[in-house]
Amino acid sequence: MPGSPNNMENLILLLTQHQAALFRYIFSLVPCEADARDILQETSVALFRKFEQYDATRPFLPWAYRFAYLQVQKHREKSARSPLLFSEDVIDLIANERAHIEPQLDERLRLLDACLGKLTPQDKELVTCRYALRQSAEEMMNRFALSRRTLFRNLELLRQRLHECVTRQLQAEGLA
Amino acid sequence: MNLESLIHAQLEGEITQEQHAQLENLLREDWQARRLYLELADQHARLLQQPQIGTGRLHQTSAAFQPLRWKKFVPALATVAVITLAFVFWPRETIDTEATSNGVAMLSQTMDAEFAQNSLRSGDTINPGIIKLAKGLAQIEFFSGATALIEGSAEIEVISAWEARCVSGRVRVHVPPAAKGFLMHAPGMKLEDLGTEFALNVKDNTSAVHVFEGEVIAHTDKAPSSLKEGMTLGQTTADFLPISELQGLVKQRQGQRHADWQKWSQEARKDPRLIAYYTFKHWPDDRWDRLVNNFAEPRRKERAGGAVGAQWTQGRWPEKEALEFKRPGDRVRLNLDGTYQALTLACWVKVDSVDKKYNSLLLTDGYDNGEPHWQIFEDGSLMFSIAYRPDSQIKAGKYNQMYYSKPVFTADSLGRWHHLAVSYDNQSGAVIQYFDGQEVSREISALHQPGRDIAFGPCEIGNWGLPTAGHPFPIRNLNGAIDEFAIYSAVQGADEVKAMFEAGKVE
Repeated sequence: MPGSPNNMENLILLLTQHQAALFRYIFSLVPCEADARDILQETSVALFRKFEQYDATRPFLPWAYRFAYLQVQKHREKSARSPLLFSEDVIDLIANERAHIEPQLDERLRLLDACLGKLTPQDKELVTCRYALRQSAEEMMNRFALSRRTLFRNLELLRQRLHECVTRQLQAEGLA
Repeated sequence: MNLESLIHAQLEGEITQEQHAQLENLLREDWQARRLYLELADQHARLLQQPQIGTGRLHQTSAAFQPLRWKKFVPALATVAVITLAFVFWPRETIDTEATSNGVAMLSQTMDAEFAQNSLRSGDTINPGIIKLAKGLAQIEFFSGATALIEGSAEIEVISAWEARCVSGRVRVHVPPAAKGFLMHAPGMKLEDLGTEFALNVKDNTSAVHVFEGEVIAHTDKAPSSLKEGMTLGQTTADFLPISELQGLVKQRQGQRHADWQKWSQEARKDPRLIAYYTFKHWPDDRWDRLVNNFAEPRRKERAGGAVGAQWTQGRWPEKEALEFKRPGDRVRLNLDGTYQALTLACWVKVDSVDKKYNSLLLTDGYDNGEPHWQIFEDGSLMFSIAYRPDSQIKAGKYNQMYYSKPVFTADSLGRWHHLAVSYDNQSGAVIQYFDGQEVSREISALHQPGRDIAFGPCEIGNWGLPTAGHPFPIRNLNGAIDEFAIYSAVQGADEVKAMFEAGKVE
């Protein structure tokens, strides 16, 4: 029974442990935060319903990714007219590529923290406004007295610097 | 636009249809483009989830999430269970939440107290609300520093740390200088305390107040009046509540409980099934102060324990001794010879905090075949384990028979004395765990095979193992105190465990 307390507990534990990874997977296929969160919820419900089929001797994430992938497909069908979603073939290509490089992606995240710590105070403020405070573009434009174009240019440069910093660290560790 | 800029625009949703199509083409054609996209998308996703800087938290896969949108989700729910589940694994805060309380006072002492809210016990935090004391005495300590002694029957409304209302009953209030300004409402008057001690009797909606010390401003329908030491306002037929009562009665009852337990203990120590019995009484003339006597009869001195680090402290009652375990080295060393077919471990423990992954009760030094380990797991559950591995295997890991209870140590049960017990029978394989005399788990391991011996050997209470020279050791010391520990070579039944609890409970 999917609703038995023991199964329920196991699923909650597994989801708590892996929800961040699951969100990252979904977000790579549907790079829109709100949609990705909705898909994560729907995936959790699907996992709950099918949890009796889960073989506890196998790793949880690959199994969960299959459900997430199906939910991404469903989401695509529902919002087929949205022009900014990736096409099905592109989603497949990305999902395949991701399966190959997942260990490297995990390595990169491990190094991201140190790189965040090295940011200039201005860049830190930008990270805080954009990601921690979830300020809108308008709020940030006011706060930093920037045009929309410059603001997004700055955010782009910021993320680019973080990306390069992580790559350098990986190379230093001989992992890249 | 180059590839990077297209990706960033896509991530921010600041992308035109043409640019999106352009990006898709690049991703289709080039695996390196896909990799760069994946790296940037993953980084962005992580920042969205865990945006803190330099807190060292980004390594962790913690469950930090924004509140979620619930649109179109709710109709899809098949069961209430899913809702519960969703709330459990989606904490609402992005940043670590700190435990909070609405408490404004605490119930510090009680004497034969019966509350309408029958779950109220001494040591509980009190939230704003009505307290109905049917009988007995109760002392409430407000967080402002004011203290109120209440005699049942009484009805008190706790309004805040600085304010209360007496609806009926006899109350005595002490207000130290730090709590000056404490307000006590009563029918027909409002008493503003200027640092003092006063008593209040309220009956049939009529109030009378008497000041024992200091000054109280009484606000009535007339002009505010100052009441000084010895002055009374209002009429009452009953005496004002004396302060000596509670302290004296509490002390008397504690003495009685201690005497009752001692009487029980004198008999219990003659149980032939005892391997060892420690009551943590130490002789004043023990100049080393480290001997933990074994009181099981007939006396076997070789089974006495040796305290390391742990300090003597007060146990369940003022006259009772205990050992306190606080530092990573604190422990009581034991060496228990023999092999056994069954066991029961029982102890009285006050756990101050479950702050390690494993928090020791009794563990053998190593973890060889048939050696029991009894601990509190990090989630507050009781954990008993015993391993038997085949000769060919080096590691015990997968032959470890582990038994967990439901979590029993929670904010509510920490800092109080509780009785814990576990029994194990090597024939049936049943492990039964008890908390305050109640069964909290019963299980037989799938790995159980009947008839395998149980042994202790060198072991310790409150910690785990002697470190091998030059090696770090896991920190598993208990954070709390133990004031009674019994080790039996037989299964003690539910009735016997219940009897131990009843004989030794604090109140």
